Amino acid sequence: MKIVRLMNKTGYRRLGWLWLAILMLCALWLVWMLRQGLPADTDLTALLPADRQAPLVEKADRELGRGFENRFLLLLDDDERVSTTQTLGHSLQTLVDDGQLAAIDWRELDLADADPHGWMGQWRYRLLTPQWQQIIDNDDGNQLVDPALRRLFSPTARPDPVADPFGLLDAWLSRLPQSPIGAADGLLTLNADGRQWSVLIGELEGSPYDLSMQNALHAALEHFQQQHPDAELLRSGLVFHAAAGARQAKHEISTIGAASLLGVLLIIGFVFRSPRVLLQLMIPLLAGSLFALTLTLGIFGRLHLLTLAFGASLVGIAIDYVLHLQCDRAIAGHKFRLRRLLPSLTLGLISSVIAYVAQALTPMPGLRQMAAFAAFGLIGAWLTVVLWLPRFTLHASPFTARLATGWWRLCQPRWRLSPWLALAGAVVLIVVCALRLTSDDSLALLNPSPAALMQDEARVQQLLDRDTGSRYFLVQAEDTQALLARLDQLDAALDQAIAEGLNVDYQSLASSVPTAAEQQANLARVRKLYGAPLDELIQRAGLPAEVAEKGRAQLEKSPMLTLANWLETPLGSLQQRLWLGKTANGGVAATVVISGARDAGTTNALGVLANSLPQVEYVDRVSRIGALLGELRRHTAVWVALAMALMTLGLVWRYRRRAWRVIVPPFGATLIVLTTFAVSGVPLNIFNQLGLLLVLGIGLDAGIFNVEHARRPSAWLAITLSTLTSLLAFGMLAFSATPALHYLGLTCLIGLASVWALVPWVRPADDAYPSTILQISPHGRLSMAGVEHDWG
Amino acid sequence: MLFRQLLISLLLWVPLCAQAFDLDDLQRQLAATPSLAGRFEQQRELADLDSSLKSQGTFIFERGKRVVWQLETPVEERIELTPQAITDGSGEAAPPGGEQVAELFLQLLEGNWQALESRFTLQLSGDRDAWQVALIPKEAALRERIAKITLRGDRTIDHLDMHTPNGDRLKVHLFDQHPLNGS
Repeated sequence: MKIVRLMNKTGYRRLGWLWLAILMLCALWLVWMLRQGLPADTDLTALLPADRQAPLVEKADRELGRGFENRFLLLLDDDERVSTTQTLGHSLQTLVDDGQLAAIDWRELDLADADPHGWMGQWRYRLLTPQWQQIIDNDDGNQLVDPALRRLFSPTARPDPVADPFGLLDAWLSRLPQSPIGAADGLLTLNADGRQWSVLIGELEGSPYDLSMQNALHAALEHFQQQHPDAELLRSGLVFHAAAGARQAKHEISTIGAASLLGVLLIIGFVFRSPRVLLQLMIPLLAGSLFALTLTLGIFGRLHLLTLAFGASLVGIAIDYVLHLQCDRAIAGHKFRLRRLLPSLTLGLISSVIAYVAQALTPMPGLRQMAAFAAFGLIGAWLTVVLWLPRFTLHASPFTARLATGWWRLCQPRWRLSPWLALAGAVVLIVVCALRLTSDDSLALLNPSPAALMQDEARVQQLLDRDTGSRYFLVQAEDTQALLARLDQLDAALDQAIAEGLNVDYQSLASSVPTAAEQQANLARVRKLYGAPLDELIQRAGLPAEVAEKGRAQLEKSPMLTLANWLETPLGSLQQRLWLGKTANGGVAATVVISGARDAGTTNALGVLANSLPQVEYVDRVSRIGALLGELRRHTAVWVALAMALMTLGLVWRYRRRAWRVIVPPFGATLIVLTTFAVSGVPLNIFNQLGLLLVLGIGLDAGIFNVEHARRPSAWLAITLSTLTSLLAFGMLAFSATPALHYLGLTCLIGLASVWALVPWVRPADDAYPSTILQISPHGRLSMAGVEHDWG
Repeated sequence: MLFRQLLISLLLWVPLCAQAFDLDDLQRQLAATPSLAGRFEQQRELADLDSSLKSQGTFIFERGKRVVWQLETPVEERIELTPQAITDGSGEAAPPGGEQVAELFLQLLEGNWQALESRFTLQLSGDRDAWQVALIPKEAALRERIAKITLRGDRTIDHLDMHTPNGDRLKVHLFDQHPLNGS
């Protein structure tokens, strides 16, 4: 109330200019901060406290996800497979020529450099499969002579009696994971489920979110499918999901978004009969967002996209301040006094800000950011409403006053709710919620992809027998050799578990690069093999004895295969994603990726396996993100409940026995939303909970104004308008196909409608602080000439 | 000038080819014997060695289906090639990538020019009683593994001669060939 006392005419004007100057400074500061783009986080874990984040897990996620992000894969099946594949391949090749894609591989030739004999040869004497190790240990490898002879004389073999008469390299290579993609009819081909699929692998030039590339790719594929309606085309890759998301957003903006905007325009236009009011509605919201964005960025340095999205929605509560002020001005005309509205406006602001300050105290940086953004936004919008809005001329139409009175009469309830009935109702609703309400924190909430695309994706993964890189062991050690040894241990444990029936497969660097000690032991074994068995082989093959000598000489120049060597080879580059390199604590880390069964038993077994080894951690990305969402949801719930309790105390202090009338709209609406969810089986998640924050804020404002200005039709008109416009702006999101927006919208739809329906039933029979008292009070210096407006 | 010469030689060639024995004729001639059996001698000359790997045995060829290669000396081994895979005596599939080699070998023995043409430039010479087809790989990737293949024969294929860029050479001589009954 200090502001009120300070406010004589010039003081008020000065404050207005001061606020404008602050906003200008904010704008300058913001431009300076954004000079290199918005420093935005998209990673959900960035919302967690720093000590709970796991940079190594993030890095592993990024490495494993890269292939999915930068590449896409198409599987094509058609009766005329060769010609249709060529059509599609050539059409995508034009995108490469246009610079939209980096590369597209679909011809058999694109596999040609996959022959590893050239670049792996030098290391072959140090690489032995476990089976060969055993054979040589048993009898120096005499058993290997006969198979080697057959190899040398097969018409299709490429024998190399000097460098590799026994075929060490082929034996070792055959143990590496084989790509299921082969060649047939000159095309990259996948044989699976008894069908032949053509495989087209595309590589992106830039980001999968690049719109022009998305459009070009989409157009090419659409055109192809129109020309070949019988061809079955499966798509996999982030680019398709990103494109589907972008198309969906565009579609929804042009339908849901346009409908909301049109609705708001029509209502405001109908009530105020002046286009200028619309502009005046927007100014405080924009000023609030500017203030919030600048201060939040200034304080936190970075901004999470989720913060931005929901923070900006919460600033929408500020529409209340604008509408209450404008309705009052339109109806009171030149008798309008800001002073009369100021207590309710201030109380509305304080109660909402308290709710956010409570969140800002949580240990979750994500919630703190969101709360700070919403609180600053509301304060900024409030200051703009109070300091600037009354100074704009309002071309009020007499129609507004007539409408307010008519509407007021129409909405007089026949009877009024008693506090005991309200309490009883609340108890019933709470019991229903407690019994039936469920929650859902699954990752699917964040996934806006259409079901058909998800099916394609799953089908491709299954046909290619590919892992999604979402489950892995994170293994750390002090240096590369120790890491390889530890990976070996883990692989052995996994092999044993698989032999005992665990239905998974894994990819590990250790199966490609043996430890230095093992490579040394392998070389010693090969020396044995190159003794008598080699002589016998050469002699039986009918080759001169010096061939054996030449072969032995090869062993002397056999280098060690290091991890770095391996990762540089074409085969090793496919495993680059498993290597995490140096860690912050000076060690090194790698992942072992798991594919196969996903059931609880398997997950459990893998977890136990990880716990049995030092510095090995099992990570399941999907459940990890689910857990994060759940944690965010529970934290929000607890802190909001605390804030509600605190607010209740504050309201009781001001309103005493009338406090329940203020509380019923926000709390009642919240309970109605929760009960509706409980009864209809909609699970509670972080997004409908954030929607509840909005309902609480608008409900509280409605409750306060309803009690403070019980006999004023303008207050009821403002409440109606604010719930209706918010309903249009947020409630319409219930029709969005994006799960996150759908839940937020659904909550607002039910909640805001409930707020509006509850208000008349708890309206007190008289004003809490009748305005007449204020009007006849002798503080003439408080009436502000600048606030007067004409009826021009 | 070069272009004109090329054009003239082409113009001279085309009518000759049209009248002469062409690849389609040869394919029909070979297809007349759907299945046959016989003996083979295989000799692999390795450039960096003065000697060669020699082997012999019998073979069975069923057009479009499979080739069975029965090694007798220096080792006994049965190798079966189908368009899908190479399998050895133990029934195990040969090293990965074997399908492509098996496919090529089958196409060569069948004289399946349509399939071979996608990867090789074919040149036929001679007549129906003594013909020769030279195959040169079209793409650089394949040229790294195969320099040239020559097939010779009459009513059947008698000689296969493959050169690799590193100077190795695989010579297969098929003889004592006789059609199989009831196939």
